[in-house]
Amino acid sequence: MRVSTRLRVIRRRLLQALPVLVLATFVVFGLLKLMPGDIAITLAGENATEQRIHEIRELYGLNRPFLVQYGSWLVNAFQGDLSKSLATGEPVAASIARAFPNTLLIVVLAMGVALGLGIPLGLLAASRPDGLRDRVVTSVASLGIAVPNFWLAMILVAWLALDLGWFPATGAVPLKDSIPQSLHHAILPALALAAGGVAEVSRQLRSSLVEILSSPPVRTLRAKGLGAGTILWKHGLKNAGVNLLTVATLLFNRLLAATVVVEAVFAISGMGNLIVNAALTRDLPVVQGVVFVMVLVVITVNLAADLLYTVLDPRIP
Amino acid sequence: MTDAHDQREPTQPAARLTRRDLMVMAGAVAGSVASTGPAWAQATPRRGGLLKVSANANPSSLDPATGGAGSDHTFLWTIFDTLVEWDYDTLKTRPGLAAFNFPDPRTMVLDLKPGISFHDGSPLDAAAVKFNLDRGRQDARSNIKADLSSVAEVLVSGPLQVTIKLLRPDTALPAILSDRAGMMVSPKAVQALGAEHDRKPVGAGPWKFVSWSANEKVVVTRADNYWRKDRGFVDGIEFSIIPELATGLRAVVAGQNDFAYQVPPRLIPIIDKAKNLQKVSGPTLYCLQLYYNLAKPGLNNLKVRQAINYALDRDAFVKASLAGVGEPAYMNLPKSHWAYDETLAKLYPHNPDMARKLLAEAGFKDGLELSVGSYTDQDSVRRSEIVMEQLRKVGIRLKFITGTIPEISGQFFGNEKKFDMLLSAWTGRPDPSMTYSLMYSKDAYFNAGRVEVSKELTDLLAESRAAERIEGRKLIFWRLQRIVMEQALVAPLAFQYELVAASQKVGGYKPNLLGKPKYEFITLKG
Repeated sequence: MRVSTRLRVIRRRLLQALPVLVLATFVVFGLLKLMPGDIAITLAGENATEQRIHEIRELYGLNRPFLVQYGSWLVNAFQGDLSKSLATGEPVAASIARAFPNTLLIVVLAMGVALGLGIPLGLLAASRPDGLRDRVVTSVASLGIAVPNFWLAMILVAWLALDLGWFPATGAVPLKDSIPQSLHHAILPALALAAGGVAEVSRQLRSSLVEILSSPPVRTLRAKGLGAGTILWKHGLKNAGVNLLTVATLLFNRLLAATVVVEAVFAISGMGNLIVNAALTRDLPVVQGVVFVMVLVVITVNLAADLLYTVLDPRIP
Repeated sequence: MTDAHDQREPTQPAARLTRRDLMVMAGAVAGSVASTGPAWAQATPRRGGLLKVSANANPSSLDPATGGAGSDHTFLWTIFDTLVEWDYDTLKTRPGLAAFNFPDPRTMVLDLKPGISFHDGSPLDAAAVKFNLDRGRQDARSNIKADLSSVAEVLVSGPLQVTIKLLRPDTALPAILSDRAGMMVSPKAVQALGAEHDRKPVGAGPWKFVSWSANEKVVVTRADNYWRKDRGFVDGIEFSIIPELATGLRAVVAGQNDFAYQVPPRLIPIIDKAKNLQKVSGPTLYCLQLYYNLAKPGLNNLKVRQAINYALDRDAFVKASLAGVGEPAYMNLPKSHWAYDETLAKLYPHNPDMARKLLAEAGFKDGLELSVGSYTDQDSVRRSEIVMEQLRKVGIRLKFITGTIPEISGQFFGNEKKFDMLLSAWTGRPDPSMTYSLMYSKDAYFNAGRVEVSKELTDLLAESRAAERIEGRKLIFWRLQRIVMEQALVAPLAFQYELVAASQKVGGYKPNLLGKPKYEFITLKG
């Protein structure tokens, strides 16, 4: 693919990202404003009085018109200032800088597990459709999809952390502090998160491969005497690559959201916990900041996938 | 405040604790302090070690004047000493950083102990106290203005003496100064940091601040210049913020943390099964109750409110909802409080027949329907079911509307005035006058209907802060409480006891009546 084509893809995607960013943050801002509850009451403290609650609204600009509040936030956000948490006073950017690596590590590990197990299982199942191995893989995949990740997380904690003591039951260690400790803490959450992904990858890959392997070109290759292994690895997997990339991209974005539950079970201070706590207290700057960053991440991942599509299949414009 | 700020998870019948169990548990880990410490403490405590705590809420601020959550205190007490302290068992006040007296009803004198300095080395003298009290009264960001509303002027009357001139007699002031308003922050630090002091606090407590990562960790370390040698034994405390209480307990079971507080009684079987843990429990002021909106039709009728009180089976509620780790509530104070009135506890025995009779007299012979706000957590839902069933038996049909704590409590107490009642909790205050004025005076935020009950109640609220001696105050509170309960302004259900799960290496911990852990006497085995 030519460089100019890639640049065009990047430019187009970035232009599309702008309205998505604005729309997503506007909708979330609006929903939070529509929800009942008032952070001024929380901020006013235990001995709140009507007067103090009013003062708090004045102090934090919570009584300004909706559009003024949103506009002010948006302008600052595009200038790199995500404001401060109303509940804790911590700069939102600092909270995100601390939480995002924890979430990303779990998601990346979960992706590794999902692809590392899902691809071999998919190949295994596709190598003899409707055979015993295919049925076993299908059953395992169904189980992986059916098991809720919060339940699996609790089982893993009870067994591997509390009973056997092999892994920590809660918490996260930043990569910069200790890579082995960080990985040790992230393995159980990643396993809990990956179960559905393994199933999804294996099932999707199996379907693609079965379709490809029964297509006329492959039949021709087989007729020409090419071995089953060569057909599977060289032609089948390559052609299934685009499909696999789509599955992996969707899975990555989904896992980012799914960490909310797993982070709660393992008490990991990641993006999921950050946004849940902020939403519960109506801490708008934090919610907006997390949404802003997550939208950016999803856009970036999608952009990377778009570029990879063109590498895997030059016919894709 | 309601448990909007004290989000302990509630319960389901699991293991039951007898009174004897509780006493044994309370004594089990009581350790260790020299002669000036509480009576339950022992001598020669071991110093050292890092105490790891599962904390169930992120602090709202680490500056006592600007924060607002009841769950902050457990962090604040590590960094800040208070001018006045209280007895763990009764909340009777006693000198802290300062001795205090009232030479006349409108004057309070504080005499500071000499040689105390803040963690930044600046002296904790009369000027520092004046700075703190004036800041609490006047700073735009202060959340404790209402606490200090009786203060007219703060005067430095000596290097270590402060004279507080009052607008009106206020004998609740010592208790108020045992709370946020009495936590002394370093003026030098506040002047240098401004609002940043919320996140980098400097006090004069046993430990000094190290770091706070919001929603993750708060770390404090020993303050070498701490003025008292009979407390503050561990080298440091690391609080891991884990809002989900079962997860916080799991961290202790797994040995990652040493201490979890406000554990829901339904998790007792997990503590027992762990074998490496000990339980500590004790009474608190944390009162589960039905708040009324007295302005709503139905609840503006005294007989309806009384009927609800008669219909409640509080003993059954404690067993079913708190696994026995609590006591029935017949007023807003528990049995161990100094102002508890034993005779009032007999006012509303469980009597469904009386409840039906009162409802009929009130014109609701066929019963009535009331809306109740409640919360979505597992234990609140269970409590709702119990109350719903108990009131159904006398013909009161409850319709529960559930949501998050800020949402529902805001709708009930704020301007929306939704729901007839709220099933929630009152977390307690150091002085009962604060509790009663915050819930029952006419314009109080927690008086959802903003109704003035009677002039007598208003007068008694003022009197309760004017009486000088504790015996006199007790009699006033008895009269006050009687009005509150005879007028059935609330339907108290139960006091939830504090329940702590600690590793076997933790010693010296004793719960207090406020139900918020202090770590000053804790020791760690090697």
